[in-house]
Amino acid sequence: MPPLDKRIKKFLKDSIRIAPKISGKGELSELRTGLVSQYPQTRKDAIKKTIQQMTLGKDVSSLFPDVLKNIATIDVEQKKLVYLYVMNYAETHPELCILAVNTFITDAQDPNPLIRCMAIRTMSMIRVDKILEYIETPLRRTLHDDNAYVRKTAVICVAKLFQLNKDLCVELGVVEDLVNALDDSNPLVIANATAALIEIHNMDMDAVDLSSLIQSHVSQFLLALNECTEWARIIILGTLSEYSAKDSLEAQDIIDRVTAHLQHVNPAVVLATIKVIVRNLPQIEYSSNSLIMKRLSSAFVSLMSTPPEMQYVALKNIRIILEKYPELLTKELRIFYVKFNDPLYVKLEKIDILVRLVDPSNLKQCTLLLTELKEYAMEYEPEFVSRAIQALSQLGIKYAQESFVSKVLDILLELLERQDTIKDDCCISLCDLLRHCPGNDKMAKQVCAVFNTWSNPEVLLQSDIAKCNYVWLLGQHPNNFSDLESKINIFIENFVQEEALTQMSLLMTIVRLHATLTGSMLQSVLELATQQTHELDVRDMAMMYWRCLSMPNNESLVNDLCQNKLPMISNTLEKFSPEVLEKLLMELGTISSIYFKPDSNRRKGKKYVQNIVKGKHIEELESMAKNEISSKANDDVLLDFDERDDVTNTNAGMLNTSTTLGDLDDLFDFGPSEDATQINTNDTKAVQGLKELKLGGDSNGISSGGKNNPDVSGGNIVSQDLLDLF
Amino acid sequence: MGNIFSSMFDKLWGSNKELRILILGLDGAGKTTILYRLQIGEVVTTKPTIGFNVETLSYKNLKLNVWDLGGQTSIRPYWRCYYADTAAVIFVVDSTDKDRMSTASKELHLMLQEEELQDAALLVFANKQDQPGALSASEVSKELNLVELKDRSWSIVASSAIKGEGITEGLDWLIDVIKEEQL
Repeated sequence: MPPLDKRIKKFLKDSIRIAPKISGKGELSELRTGLVSQYPQTRKDAIKKTIQQMTLGKDVSSLFPDVLKNIATIDVEQKKLVYLYVMNYAETHPELCILAVNTFITDAQDPNPLIRCMAIRTMSMIRVDKILEYIETPLRRTLHDDNAYVRKTAVICVAKLFQLNKDLCVELGVVEDLVNALDDSNPLVIANATAALIEIHNMDMDAVDLSSLIQSHVSQFLLALNECTEWARIIILGTLSEYSAKDSLEAQDIIDRVTAHLQHVNPAVVLATIKVIVRNLPQIEYSSNSLIMKRLSSAFVSLMSTPPEMQYVALKNIRIILEKYPELLTKELRIFYVKFNDPLYVKLEKIDILVRLVDPSNLKQCTLLLTELKEYAMEYEPEFVSRAIQALSQLGIKYAQESFVSKVLDILLELLERQDTIKDDCCISLCDLLRHCPGNDKMAKQVCAVFNTWSNPEVLLQSDIAKCNYVWLLGQHPNNFSDLESKINIFIENFVQEEALTQMSLLMTIVRLHATLTGSMLQSVLELATQQTHELDVRDMAMMYWRCLSMPNNESLVNDLCQNKLPMISNTLEKFSPEVLEKLLMELGTISSIYFKPDSNRRKGKKYVQNIVKGKHIEELESMAKNEISSKANDDVLLDFDERDDVTNTNAGMLNTSTTLGDLDDLFDFGPSEDATQINTNDTKAVQGLKELKLGGDSNGISSGGKNNPDVSGGNIVSQDLLDLF
Repeated sequence: MGNIFSSMFDKLWGSNKELRILILGLDGAGKTTILYRLQIGEVVTTKPTIGFNVETLSYKNLKLNVWDLGGQTSIRPYWRCYYADTAAVIFVVDSTDKDRMSTASKELHLMLQEEELQDAALLVFANKQDQPGALSASEVSKELNLVELKDRSWSIVASSAIKGEGITEGLDWLIDVIKEEQL
């Protein structure tokens, strides 16, 4: 018998059972006492407090072994809490996780499906290699569980396992179980198995033959589609959109089966459905097309009543689909009118859609839109106004009739009078319009009359592209400006501060007018352009002009240079190249549809990085980083060397630039290189620069070199422009 | 009112309190089998325990919280996580495994040196007596150097978890000691 006082102390201690308090001091030890208490309720309270601390962001990882002791319990709530804790801290205590293995395995056979499910989910979630050794039995058992809920969780676990340890996953052969799960009776299991297979396919292309699986399971997907949750529906619809129908009948069948989902409340389901339909649309008979178009239209109309963020996504997707099916939605123009409370990003997209949507053969519609755009141009948000002004010129050019264009011109001039801040945009737009109607002197006079009143255009105009347009206009209609020389002189004085586009434009204008201007101007601008600028393009261009002008018997050449007119522009709306468009149509509703960049090529690089870092020790990573840095340092040295080279040997420098540009193009993987490479590589960059110079071909103000716009519509015109120039 | 009294009564006699008992021993000694023999009275097929099993059983008006910890070398270091508030340790030895007797002895003595286990009673099961060539309880006791233990109530019982022999006797002794010393 222990002594009496000891027994009394013990009795007192035991009889006062309180839930552990959280005080500022030593709370961890209080929690620990609670966690190992002899009373179940106290332990549970302590776990709750621990989780509470955890969610507050405090580090309670030191309690790991004590919390883990409570994992074996029949109380579902407590089990869930402990699992939650284990999930959170397993990575900081990988060696202790092994103590939970037995419980995981036992729980995976629990009569309660909730617990079975929880066990396998947590087990696959913990990123601890030691645990994975023991996952086989519970995973197999749950994959063939009687309960669909457990099965649907287990199939996802296979994908997780694959990510954590691919070799083990292959060795266990659970991927085959996954494939079998596609024939499951439960739609949720089918959807999750599909999602898991897609994940695995994304991680390793060779692990599963996804496309053939999709081919052979289309009927299952279509059956499951109607009876599952939103999430599952999105997955199944996404998978269906990967499938190419064998014939028009099958395509029609698929479209019929999915059409009902166009009315779903969830916009993601609607978008996924649209994707499936768009995918199968080219295959079906033309006769049934109009009905489907009508349905698609109404689906988009309903998407326009969702929150702004979703509207934005919908608008971006509409933009892509419109390019393929311009007849879609023409009757619904009004839906896209800007509302006063739309956020800016939605407004801008809406204007874009409006201009694309409007039917150029319908005068009434165009006139309505014109008044609408005019209203927008009088709003207060600068970006919005600027976009509206741009849209006005786009609309005028799209409608293509001179009377309409002059109406647009009047509106722009009226706006210009009303406001000072929009000079840049108006200048660009007006020049666009003039380029559309090159023969119309009345318009030119009108525009020039306004520009003529500006006393200091070099200061009034802010952006490079606007100045560039202005200078171009000076060169085109010198007779409509009074005091031409002083206007040009201002620009010459500031030549060094101007950006490349303006410099080039100025060069062109002065060469064009050199017969009428004082001789020293030409000389000084050529000198400035060859000596004072760092822009290779400007320098090349100046050199070229200089050489042309100093050639003997050059009259016809100079004449060509000076008298040449740029071709008329008939469309200022950007277009995707056909390949990009096809890719984007396949990727509707994904992030690529927002950026208009197909993602097929983006993926590989990302994976590579992941594989490098995973499963390496810190030392290895450190040495990797060091290597990386040192190799980068070498690159830097190389670059320096190149620059020096540049100064001494222009030719080599230029070659170098063009290769860099080539790299850039590879990086963005878009069309522009294709029109550039037709011409001598040495001129690559000049071509790019000139492309911008086509004054209004696209007034987006894209900076030279970093051409990250999928649009290549201007490509042909540019080369044409260039040839004309020579 | 009645509730209050009964809960006070519970506390006085500790019937709501759980007694913590650890079952330790080298791997393959039969710990899990003993645990389930105690709980459901049957022999279950077991796999090596990675981690632990824990079962609550009522025995002679006491609630016992019995922890069976895995005996693999890799898990043994983590036994110490479970030592706190332990009323008794049941150490299971495979009586046929003469080669590893010294290992078992080392583990046992190492464990008993722990501060947290100073008050814990010790019951040793010389298990697998049904097997031919099994050492007797006294031989095992000698191998484990049990006589050296001071200031601790200990006992060794020859048992066979498969046949169910010796288990209840051992537990009876343990409960008596615990009741006497710690309640």
